[in-house]
Amino acid sequence: MSVRILLADDHPLTRAGIAEFLRREETFDLVAEAEDGERAWELINELRPDVALLDIRMPGMDGVAVSQKVKMSNLHTATIMLTSYDAQQYVMASLRAGARGFVLKTVSPKELTAAINTVAAGGLYLDPEVASVMGGEDFIPEPLSTREREVLLLAAQGLSSKEVARRLFISERTVQTHLASIYDKLGSKNKTEALLLALKYGVVTLDELLDTQHDGE
Amino acid sequence: MRFKNYSLAFLLAALILPSIAVVFVAVLGMINQETAMEAAVSSYVQDLAENMAYQLNADFSPYKLLGDAANYPFFAWGPSMPGWVALISLEGNIITASPGAVNIAAIWRPDIPAGRAVRVEDKRGAQYTLAVYPLANNKGYVVAAVSWNNLLGGLVKVTRMWPVLIVLMAFGSFLAIKLLWNMLVVPLREIVNELSNAAPDFNNNLSAVKEIKSVQEALKRFAQAAVERDNLRNSYVRDIVNVQEKERVDMAREIHDGPLQDVTALLQQVHMSLEDEDGRPRLERTEKLAKSIVRELRALCDELAPPWMDLGLAETLTELAERLSQSYDIDVIAELDELNELDECEGLETTPELRLSFLRIFQEAVSNAVRHGQASEVIAKVYKDNSNNLVLEIQDNGTGFDAKTANLTHEELRLQGHRGLANMTERMSLMGGTLSVISKPDQGTKIIAAVPV
Repeated sequence: MSVRILLADDHPLTRAGIAEFLRREETFDLVAEAEDGERAWELINELRPDVALLDIRMPGMDGVAVSQKVKMSNLHTATIMLTSYDAQQYVMASLRAGARGFVLKTVSPKELTAAINTVAAGGLYLDPEVASVMGGEDFIPEPLSTREREVLLLAAQGLSSKEVARRLFISERTVQTHLASIYDKLGSKNKTEALLLALKYGVVTLDELLDTQHDGE
Repeated sequence: MRFKNYSLAFLLAALILPSIAVVFVAVLGMINQETAMEAAVSSYVQDLAENMAYQLNADFSPYKLLGDAANYPFFAWGPSMPGWVALISLEGNIITASPGAVNIAAIWRPDIPAGRAVRVEDKRGAQYTLAVYPLANNKGYVVAAVSWNNLLGGLVKVTRMWPVLIVLMAFGSFLAIKLLWNMLVVPLREIVNELSNAAPDFNNNLSAVKEIKSVQEALKRFAQAAVERDNLRNSYVRDIVNVQEKERVDMAREIHDGPLQDVTALLQQVHMSLEDEDGRPRLERTEKLAKSIVRELRALCDELAPPWMDLGLAETLTELAERLSQSYDIDVIAELDELNELDECEGLETTPELRLSFLRIFQEAVSNAVRHGQASEVIAKVYKDNSNNLVLEIQDNGTGFDAKTANLTHEELRLQGHRGLANMTERMSLMGGTLSVISKPDQGTKIIAAVPV
């Protein structure tokens, strides 16, 4: 069973490069290419690929919006953002829009293969560059306590330490201590990165993140 | 426009026409009055002459009468109007007369018709209206006369003065208009001419009129202010252009020293790999090099125009806070509870311009806090104030400064070299908002950027 893939990118050279690699891979079946968001959405609807590789910035509808539509329509297609942007807020926005992978265009073929296979199997894949991994791929972080998980999920919604403290009925200082401990365990520098690493390591799941996002709304 | 051009002439006409009308009406009045007087006087002398003739015919003999005029009060007192009555013989000699009728020979003409008032003039130009009535049996005539000179003496003289007065008045009006023209219109015209100069100086005193002088003074001040303002704006624009050019030079240098060198190195590696028997190790190095070039270019793009601004205000500020935190190695925190709440309650829509403004102000504020204030923590908040402004408030824990500079305009700030503050203030004024800086030595700095939404 090969993985059926759709590729959407408005830049012809980049698209050609990635397409060439995808065609070369035997387990992949590149079923369609699109040069903008609208076309990508039409083709996904029509062809129902297993995986859609979407550029974020495209004329008309952008990749995040396409991903959002796929999520809203409950299609089984797993979306991966394939982009030049490394901003962590883009990763967060993509994940919220239902993307299961975030990969930079500088990715090596090996990594792209891994990303496609991971999301096709229902997993989550984040480019190492957007959430810097410490201690290599096999690094297993120290598990987070329940409180730390709570703090992390609330903080990930964009709540300040003050507000997290208020919701959990603890002091702001305690929240900051928890955050420091979380950063230390995951090897992150800030809240967003901590959450991305936690997702990557499976410390929290994407569904948990989306659930709390929903609660927060 | 046409009306404006002729408005001065219109104004003058509005002044002159009523004067002419007044003169005209006055002359008309004079003529009417004289006609009425003439009619009254004529009927008076006619009646008088007729009555006397009737009375004399009835009861006198002329020979008895001679030298006995006192028997008739008319001849003793004269008529009730200024004038006289006389009884003359057929030859025109005075038989008896009231006082004042001495000169009758001078005006007596045999062809004066009987029973009808006529106007005559004596040799000295004195005017009379007189009526002659014959007595019965050719005994003579009764003559009654009213002297216009005595009756209307002053009035007649004034009437004769009218043309002179009108000429004098016209001359006076002309003189007044000429004077007004010289003292008001000409100076105003000169002021207008002066104003169309590039650099009006207003040094010569144009008019003796106080109002014109103060207009001139006021315009002089305005003109000087405009010139100063112009100079300020010129140096302001010059500074902006300089900064723009400097940024271009900096960017060119950055590209030249960074990506351009790297791509050159990349190309050399590719050349060498082509010649190598086994190019693989070299190609692996080339791959790494290429990746680092991409990273470098991405950072450059992020600095020029952060693409993540598209995501929204909260995402923009969060991303920036995390990046600044990392690059300056201090705590930069975006506390966005109130913004998130606003977003949830009202579905806050922000324009790209607003996001960019807040991003640049945040960036500049953190940079200032670190470079000038040695701050170790910067906290940014976004909320809505009472006047429905969206406010970005940035507080640092740095050394602060004497905030006298905070009240300057962005032009003055820029000219005094406070480009950072000038940039922030400029951005806010372009958005129709305000920027205030609150700072005291050793108490940190608070920057409040407020934009109406």
